[in-house]
Amino acid sequence: MSSQSKTAELSVTSGAANFLRNYYIYFVLVAVVALLSLANLDQFALFERGNFLNKRNIINILRVSAPILVVAGAFTLLMVSGYIDLSIGSTMGLTAVIYAMLAINGMPFVPAFLLTMLAGAVLGAINGILVVRLNITPVIATLITLSLFKGIALLLVQDGVSAIKSGGGLKMPAWFNDYGRDGVFLKLPAAFWVAVAVTLVLIVVQNRGKLGKYAAATGGNPTAAKLSGINTGRTVFLLYVIVGVTAALAGIARSSFMSLGDPLSGDGMELTAILVVLLGGTAFSGGEGRVLRSFVGALIIMALTVGMLTIVPAYYQTLVIGAALLTAAATNHLVSQKGKVS
Amino acid sequence: MTEEQKISVLSVDGLTKDYPGVRAVDNVTFSIQNSVVHCLVGENGAGKSTLVKMLTGALAPTTGAMTVNGKTYAPTSPQEARVSGIATLFQELHVVNELTVLENLTLGMEKSRFGFFVKSDLEDRVTQTLATIEPAIDPAARVSTLSVAQKQIVEIARAASSGANIIIMDEPTAALSEREVERLFTVIRRLRENNVTVIYISHKLDEIFELGDTVTVMRDGKHITTCPLSDVDGRAELIEMMIGRTVFQSYSPRGKIGDKVVLKAEGLNTKLLKDVSFDIKEGEIIGFYGLVGAGKTEVARALFGADTFDGKVTFHGKPGGRTPKEAIAKGIALVPEERRTQGLFTSLTIRENVPVMNLPRVTQNGVFKAEDVRTAAEAFVTQLGIATSSIEKHTEKLSGGNQQKVVLAKCLFSQADLLLLDEPTRGVDVGAKTEIYEIIKDLANEGNAVAVFSSELEEVLGICDRVFLMFDGCLQEEIENGPNVDIAHILNVVTGGQDEDAR
Repeated sequence: MSSQSKTAELSVTSGAANFLRNYYIYFVLVAVVALLSLANLDQFALFERGNFLNKRNIINILRVSAPILVVAGAFTLLMVSGYIDLSIGSTMGLTAVIYAMLAINGMPFVPAFLLTMLAGAVLGAINGILVVRLNITPVIATLITLSLFKGIALLLVQDGVSAIKSGGGLKMPAWFNDYGRDGVFLKLPAAFWVAVAVTLVLIVVQNRGKLGKYAAATGGNPTAAKLSGINTGRTVFLLYVIVGVTAALAGIARSSFMSLGDPLSGDGMELTAILVVLLGGTAFSGGEGRVLRSFVGALIIMALTVGMLTIVPAYYQTLVIGAALLTAAATNHLVSQKGKVS
Repeated sequence: MTEEQKISVLSVDGLTKDYPGVRAVDNVTFSIQNSVVHCLVGENGAGKSTLVKMLTGALAPTTGAMTVNGKTYAPTSPQEARVSGIATLFQELHVVNELTVLENLTLGMEKSRFGFFVKSDLEDRVTQTLATIEPAIDPAARVSTLSVAQKQIVEIARAASSGANIIIMDEPTAALSEREVERLFTVIRRLRENNVTVIYISHKLDEIFELGDTVTVMRDGKHITTCPLSDVDGRAELIEMMIGRTVFQSYSPRGKIGDKVVLKAEGLNTKLLKDVSFDIKEGEIIGFYGLVGAGKTEVARALFGADTFDGKVTFHGKPGGRTPKEAIAKGIALVPEERRTQGLFTSLTIRENVPVMNLPRVTQNGVFKAEDVRTAAEAFVTQLGIATSSIEKHTEKLSGGNQQKVVLAKCLFSQADLLLLDEPTRGVDVGAKTEIYEIIKDLANEGNAVAVFSSELEEVLGICDRVFLMFDGCLQEEIENGPNVDIAHILNVVTGGQDEDAR
């Protein structure tokens, strides 16, 4: 009898833990937005700040969020499979440079866009080969490519200038800005909608696709996955390629938004991505994580970073982001602990 | 079942596996019929696990052939084995905790188009299989919420639905409670009704009599018999077939056991251990003998403070250590069962390994006295007869026996006077074994107390003065070692015979 009541107690706890695991991220989003909207007074009186829930502010936040929103989903699947890519920032910088170079040299939008995506796939494949074929620890392998890709990006930009931009007889085409800035639907640019589309596709991949399930199996129990006849190496390789492609999409979005090809434009992206994914409840050890929750996690982080610009001075931001990461890591730990009762 | 329905699903013919210096499996020939529970028994080292590894594709036989479902069978991996019809339930569970039961059951078998799953009867089929063998498991539940026993059943269901008609189960009840064991047996019987052959490996003889149809006995790598269990006249005959006329290394009393009790354990209880009490005297070698999972390692770890426990340990009249650090400081040292992962720093040299359990002894004002370490290491190499070209040799390059001597040196350097040796000669060749036994006896003669935890009867009866027989977390019986010990009785006790008698 006592053992029965104990089981019941356990299932209640795990039910609560499941609820927490599944929905806490939305509460966090609501809480962050609420807090930011409440703190709309000009408390610091440094320069003019507006209301957070202002339409233009929201549009602006979503517009600059495009890069992180587009990588978050693929990054989640990679982490679910138990792997990581620290080179996404450099991939983003390099592809931003490539995209700008193609455009400034006269290539039209569509081929330049597709070629840049291809470049992202190649860079992702390089990571995949290092990790899967050469068996290098993912952190080390992608640290190597982090500096490698950044090095190439810096080489591609001429001496004396910091980025690919109009000047020296070359001029950015007029369309260059459109992708990242022009509102195409609900006043939001194509880059944002592409991020939404990519996320939707990856949600389906996670729920109904082989890749999504095999990623979870690979991250959850690699031996079991292999014994079930799953080619875990191919799964991981494919995920690296997809991450590379989404990083290229992020590079294009950023480059288009800033009207230049800056080799350093993706710096720090890997940290933001890890932060976002962890905030979304993805387990660092693999097996666990949802694409949609990372998307929401990205919205939270962007709301915090950009939103705070309108409220608090810049020097508070890093601190708040650190606090957010701490909260994410702690929540992640607590939730996964609770899930492990039984 | 009529005679003509009985067809051989698996046969091995002259199967032999040689390791350098050892023939682990020696010309084994037998065959197994369909829809039976076939038990495989033998003592530790009888060659059971080597045989199973060959059946599962983990090892290739040196010579001999296997036939499965009428076809020649030579798997190179567990996946290949499964394709041929043999699935294995390993002791370590291969389920993905993060997926649901259903997702686990279909893993790797899904039908898909362009990378996306399409509807098929697969899900219905596996759900059906699961319902047949264990209806109580919800296919939609996350595997992480299941108990170990339920996870095991999920794995069995996956094996059954992947088309395997032979399922090998290696000690499947080791981690299960009594009620869970009953449920597993029900599952196994249902499998048998559904035309699946189960090869069941267990040390627990009562399980074998309860469940098995036929049995294969192995001893010293050789095939002794394959017969219906109904032809076996009870535990006694089975035990006799398992041990044969093994000659045990003769034990000679050393006669130097002191009267002073060094360590007294009273009512140790952990998750596994039940009310374990005993004492060790100065200069005495005591042995703990039992099967894998009987709780030997747990006793050693409790005494060393590596696991938490309820109960009282008195060491030299004071409370024992509650953490390894305390235990070492008080003079207790443990030689753990997994030498490479728990006992040694394999990437370090002999010299670097020796002082790690007692660094203060060679440290002065925070500075390492390199010369003292070197002297000590050199002394141990001589004293214990470690075969090495130099104390600067990396321990990963040493043989198993010499590695174990380095672990012993490490413990001796800590100036312990109670040594806990968990499987001290596992994976050690015969020559080094004898040397290690001599070292253990010498240590006891010098007045140290030694506790040996072993699943090798020969070892325990060869060197220990007193032997505690363990089964299922309990000390079943204490035996004074001597020329007249009743080996059949010992095996009966450690395989659960006493519990059965008590019922």
